[in-house]
Amino acid sequence: MTARGLLRQPLAATGLAVVATLVLLALAAPLLPLPDPDLAEPARRLQPPLSGFGALGTDQLGRDVLSRLVWGLRVSLAVGAAATLAATVVGSAIGLVAAFYGRWVDGVMMRAIDVLMAFPYLLLALAVVAALGPGLANAAIAIAVANVPFFARAVRGAALGVVGRDYVDAARIAGLSDRSILVTEILPNVLPLIVVTAATTIGWMILETAGLSFLGLGAQPPQSDLGSMLADGRKALTTAPHVAAAPGLAIFLLAVGLNLLGDGLRDLLDPRLDAGRGGAPAAATDVERGDAREAEQSGEGALVVAGLTTAFDTPSGRHAAVRDVSFALPRGGSLGIMGESGSGKSVTALSICRLAASPPGVIVDGVVSLAGEDVLAAPVERLREIRGARVAYVFQDPSTTLNPLMPVGRQIAEAVSAHGAARRAETVDEARRLIEAVELPDPDRIASAYPHELSGGQRQRVGIAMALAGEPDVLIADEPTTALDATTQATVLRLFSDLRSRLGASLVFVSHDVSVIEAMCERVAVMYAGEIVEEGPTAAVLSEPRHPYTARLVACTPRLGEPDRALDPIEGAPPPIDGRPKGCAFAPRCRLAIDPCRAAPIRLEPVADDRAARCIRWEDVSLGRA
Amino acid sequence: MDADGQEPRFSRRLPALSRRSENHVRRLATAFRMILALLAAGVGLLIAAKPGLAPTPQDTLVVGQLAEPRALDPATVTGANDFRILANVFEGLTRFRRGSLEVGGALAERWEILDGGRTYIFHLRDGVRFHDGTAFDAEAVKFNLERLIDPKHPAAGTGPFPFAFFFSAVKQVEVVDPLTVRLRLDEPYAPLLANLAHPSGYMASPAALTKLGRDFGRAPVGTGPFRFGLWESGRQLRLIANEAYRGGAPKSKALVFRPIVDPNARASEMLAGGLDVMVELAPDSVAAFRDRSRFRIHEAGGPHLWFLILNTREGPLKDARVRRALNLAIDKQAIADHVLQGTATVPAGPISEAFGPASDPEVKAYPHDPEAARRLIREAGAEGATLKLLASEGGSGMLEPIAMATAIQSDLGKVGLKVEIETFEWNAYLARVNGGLKEAAMAEMAWMTTDPHTLASLSLMGSATPDKGGFNAGYYENPEVDRLLDEARAEQDSEARAALYRRIDRIVHDDAPWAFVATWRQSAVTSAAVSGFELQPSFLMDLSGVSKAPAL
Amino acid sequence: MTAYALRRLLLAVPVLFGVSVLVFLVVSLIPGDPALAILGTFATPENVAKLNAELGLDRPLPVRFVMWLKGVLTGDLGRSYALDRPVAEEVMDRLGPTLILASAALGLSVFFGIAAGVVSAVRQNTRLDGAIRLLLLVGVSTPSFFLGIMLIQALSARLGLFPTGGMTSLFGSGGLADLAHHLVLPAVTLAVVATAIVGRIARASMLEVLRQDFIRTARAKGLTEERVIGVHALKSALVAVVPVIGLQAGYVLGGAVYVETVFQWPGVGRMLVEAIGRRDILLAQGGVLAIAALYVLVNIATDLVQAALDPRIRR
Repeated sequence: MTARGLLRQPLAATGLAVVATLVLLALAAPLLPLPDPDLAEPARRLQPPLSGFGALGTDQLGRDVLSRLVWGLRVSLAVGAAATLAATVVGSAIGLVAAFYGRWVDGVMMRAIDVLMAFPYLLLALAVVAALGPGLANAAIAIAVANVPFFARAVRGAALGVVGRDYVDAARIAGLSDRSILVTEILPNVLPLIVVTAATTIGWMILETAGLSFLGLGAQPPQSDLGSMLADGRKALTTAPHVAAAPGLAIFLLAVGLNLLGDGLRDLLDPRLDAGRGGAPAAATDVERGDAREAEQSGEGALVVAGLTTAFDTPSGRHAAVRDVSFALPRGGSLGIMGESGSGKSVTALSICRLAASPPGVIVDGVVSLAGEDVLAAPVERLREIRGARVAYVFQDPSTTLNPLMPVGRQIAEAVSAHGAARRAETVDEARRLIEAVELPDPDRIASAYPHELSGGQRQRVGIAMALAGEPDVLIADEPTTALDATTQATVLRLFSDLRSRLGASLVFVSHDVSVIEAMCERVAVMYAGEIVEEGPTAAVLSEPRHPYTARLVACTPRLGEPDRALDPIEGAPPPIDGRPKGCAFAPRCRLAIDPCRAAPIRLEPVADDRAARCIRWEDVSLGRA
Repeated sequence: MDADGQEPRFSRRLPALSRRSENHVRRLATAFRMILALLAAGVGLLIAAKPGLAPTPQDTLVVGQLAEPRALDPATVTGANDFRILANVFEGLTRFRRGSLEVGGALAERWEILDGGRTYIFHLRDGVRFHDGTAFDAEAVKFNLERLIDPKHPAAGTGPFPFAFFFSAVKQVEVVDPLTVRLRLDEPYAPLLANLAHPSGYMASPAALTKLGRDFGRAPVGTGPFRFGLWESGRQLRLIANEAYRGGAPKSKALVFRPIVDPNARASEMLAGGLDVMVELAPDSVAAFRDRSRFRIHEAGGPHLWFLILNTREGPLKDARVRRALNLAIDKQAIADHVLQGTATVPAGPISEAFGPASDPEVKAYPHDPEAARRLIREAGAEGATLKLLASEGGSGMLEPIAMATAIQSDLGKVGLKVEIETFEWNAYLARVNGGLKEAAMAEMAWMTTDPHTLASLSLMGSATPDKGGFNAGYYENPEVDRLLDEARAEQDSEARAALYRRIDRIVHDDAPWAFVATWRQSAVTSAAVSGFELQPSFLMDLSGVSKAPAL
Repeated sequence: MTAYALRRLLLAVPVLFGVSVLVFLVVSLIPGDPALAILGTFATPENVAKLNAELGLDRPLPVRFVMWLKGVLTGDLGRSYALDRPVAEEVMDRLGPTLILASAALGLSVFFGIAAGVVSAVRQNTRLDGAIRLLLLVGVSTPSFFLGIMLIQALSARLGLFPTGGMTSLFGSGGLADLAHHLVLPAVTLAVVATAIVGRIARASMLEVLRQDFIRTARAKGLTEERVIGVHALKSALVAVVPVIGLQAGYVLGGAVYVETVFQWPGVGRMLVEAIGRRDILLAQGGVLAIAALYVLVNIATDLVQAALDPRIRR
């Protein structure tokens, strides 16, 4: 798996090829038809490459440069590998022991590591090699010592996460010895990290060992590695640059190869370490619509969403996360979007202003019409004008949705100045007014506070203030109170509702919480597996569901005033986006499912005035029976 | 930069626009480009104006040195590198004549030797002053010499004095009158006059020594053609012309010594025009300075000897035949021509030709004759022996010790002797070798001396083995040589003395306690504008007569 | 913030003590005898022993450590055997050039590293991103000692565009221009690896930050992308990059050893290599201690910068 995975990454494959070639060359050195690397023939010294004295010419003593290069490579590789191995073993052992025993053992070891790390990297190596005396083995030891702290720290960090786990406690209770717990329980869990750390540092270590040799502190003649060859060659640089260039380029090539390979291995074994892999969302979600949609715009209402389909690009292909979602929201109206997590409700909400992360998200079909303007066709600059001013969002978790490094007052002021307000003083005043509007005490203090200095409720009020700043026509609230406790939730909701009605904005309210939707929204759309499965006036839908999923969702919600109601959780889980069934997506979990449900996609059909459901057995659905 | 500045298109497919249009970060990008442009413009300006490549001023001579001087107190330093500077600041009672190792007068106008060599009377030059204005007189001579030999001297704390043994024969220094000083020796010591010409015998200002103590080494005061200017560690040491110099003001207004440790960097700097004089040209750089219109290469012999100390006490080299075989097997001419790029010659015996009559012209260098070497080895039954060769990585006068060791290893391999090289850093090397060879068979060594007596007495006498504080690390012992050296030491007649050394030269050559490998031809490069420069066999470098023609 | 700074400084004290113990131990283990270095070819075992006694080197290690530490606390680092000059003076003389070189290199690497990382992250998966990533990888793999000698050979010795070494010319106009002219090549050489590392980290952390929810919030507010990236994302990314810059300061201070050697820069790094070569124990100790102390200070400084950027750390 590892090898194939590596070969799939072109850069890593290149690295592997380079390293493999060099390693093979080094291993095969005794078998290759090369002259004795130490055979001095002063009479034909400093011959240029391809002059008949070896492919790469000769050095100051008339020795064959190519042969020396291959043998030097062998030494450099061996020493680098040995140093890496030593640093890995010793560093990992320290890290494991420190993490496992904790307390004073950890304290003492980590302070010692701190002291080692107080030395600039090369300086520590230099001091060690100075103490041990020059020599290749000593240089390797020095480089290993200089690297031990990195391994110790990394492994300790990872091991700390493992030490507290249940199975370690279980092993302890089972009477396993410390050593066997360390070796059999903890080590395997941190092994990938160790391998990755070693793979990403070996190139570096080879480079630094060569550097010590270059300074004359590593390989001692007649023994030579690439670094000491470079130092030798340097003396003849003016007259015969090839003698220095050959080992220099070899070191460089080896390091490039090892680093490419190391990066590849890291991506493969420990994707978490490679933050760059997942990719960052662009300013707006990609839109790749077919041509069919052009005319299908309706000017009705503040917000009309028609046939919205948002897909995710995954390694296994492109899969729709939201499929064919349509709804219309009149000016001042409110719509709840309800569903479990993973139902696509948030993606729907985010797609409206093209805020769904892209990659992986792509809007592949549909229209989002805002007072007649197709948002999905708008250029980014126009989109920026729409965001905040026409459509504003309140997000779920205020602890992550506010910038932790900026006082909240500035974050609000920023929202104000994004749309108009010219002068700084004005925006500050406006921000203060907004903070007062969301009923936060002591606005000046709040304005200068950082998010982490506020409570969850206060943070969400700040989020609301920010959303109100642009006086939007449409407010989209994505689970705005989910992270709050019940009391705070109620007050924040009341406030939100008041402010919205004062503003006269339309509302899209996304939540999994039936009772909140009930309180906030005139209409509700229930989503399951990326599709709207039922839509209609809130009261009607919740009291008389026409889709089994709605019925089950309502049934598993505790209701105020009915403490004795038996809660009936929905067993099973929604299908993953790359594994949606051919027929009804809910069928596998549905007690009413029959064969036709599974045969073909079910259409969203009107079931009453102003109501629609995506179920062929809607007539059999009731709150008690689903 | 696909979408840079381009009007976004209303297209069905929009990702290009959302991800790649870069005008969003325009201001940041502008700032970045401005800084980049400033940096580029700055570097461009620097390249155009070359503020860092100003030519050296015409009245200042810039000398590229091997290293930072250790100190400038002549009594405390040992390196030729430091001596080159000191020779311009200080003078001794005597000096080596230009182009030879013959001793002539300097601060002493003339002298008399009495008592069969046990008493020296020096008549000092009148009117000489130190750079600090104090007078140079007999008291100053007494102060300087006693500093070296009397541990209770007020300035003894400025030591240690590595060359104190040069003057250990002196028992008493007496001031006869302000311009006359008398030295009393416990036994005749012929090398004394030469040793007084050596930097360790230079006369320093007693006033400055007393005032500065150890710091004298950072701000020296002598009587020479140049006085100390400033010393910026790692950068330059500047000497200023002493207009009041007794021999007339020197031709250059200032001397600047620049320490450039790396030979390659030194050569680059010389090529770039940052130096007027560069000493100790690395063999491999010679080719770069062949251009006669820009540079002059100077070479001179000198009493330098690069040899292998052979272990005469232990192992196969106990047998003189094997030692001779080594001398025959090593292709010394090839080492001189190829490894050392013609910067060395092949020495004949232990007494350098630079000592003139003291060296025996009849003694010829061992020829390169592997066949004869093999025969001798066979006779001695030493075929296939393994010999350990101690080699240093560098060091004063050691030339190319590693490359030479490798070449020797290769040559001895051809006559069936296996050589294992063990290398040491220079100081560690000295510690290892000066303690005696012990189990090792050979060790590299190089000496530069100014009197034939020094090297021979310290390294060849049976009484100079390491356990007795000498440098005879190969434990060579020949009573005849010991006797001749004792005689030469006391012999005042220079012709008779030279004859004794010639006999020593012959005997030691035949005994072969060393392998005589190379004699360095010291080298230097000057720019074509420099005139009056000449290398001296004493390795000292008097730059008072050197000047620079105006730049074209 | 002040309290945090004080606490951070206080925490450095035991580390510095540990550093001094380690420096003393390690450097005292250096084989070879300083007495030999002084006496040169003419060192006899007898003279060496005598001199060692004079220098106090025959006393037991703990005694020497206490003597040394007492000296360190009073600013007396002893006297260099080889230079015959107080170590503190020599180190002070050498520290300036090293600081100039290291800060120039660090400045370059921070500027170019962050710029490259940000551009690469913002234009992720474009050809420009690919080119930058490859360049950064090549940069990380470049042996600075090799780069240095090649730059000197090509640009100085052959083309005569820059001085071949040293920090200032002894003659000519002097001044800043002169220094800058000497500084270009060594600073660039020293900056290459650090730039590449900063660039890689900056790219990764920028991508990480761009995935954060608050970036989406900023975009939802209708902020310009310039503000989203230049203010919101960059500042957060910097919080992660700053400690790396601190680490790079360590690399740069260490790497200065190569660059100062190759470019004849009169700094502490070159002094150290020479001191170790000459067995100048006290000078080596002083140099290592100075650099290590400097590095501890740099790390405190980066911690403070990080705290200034991130209010959560200040508490």
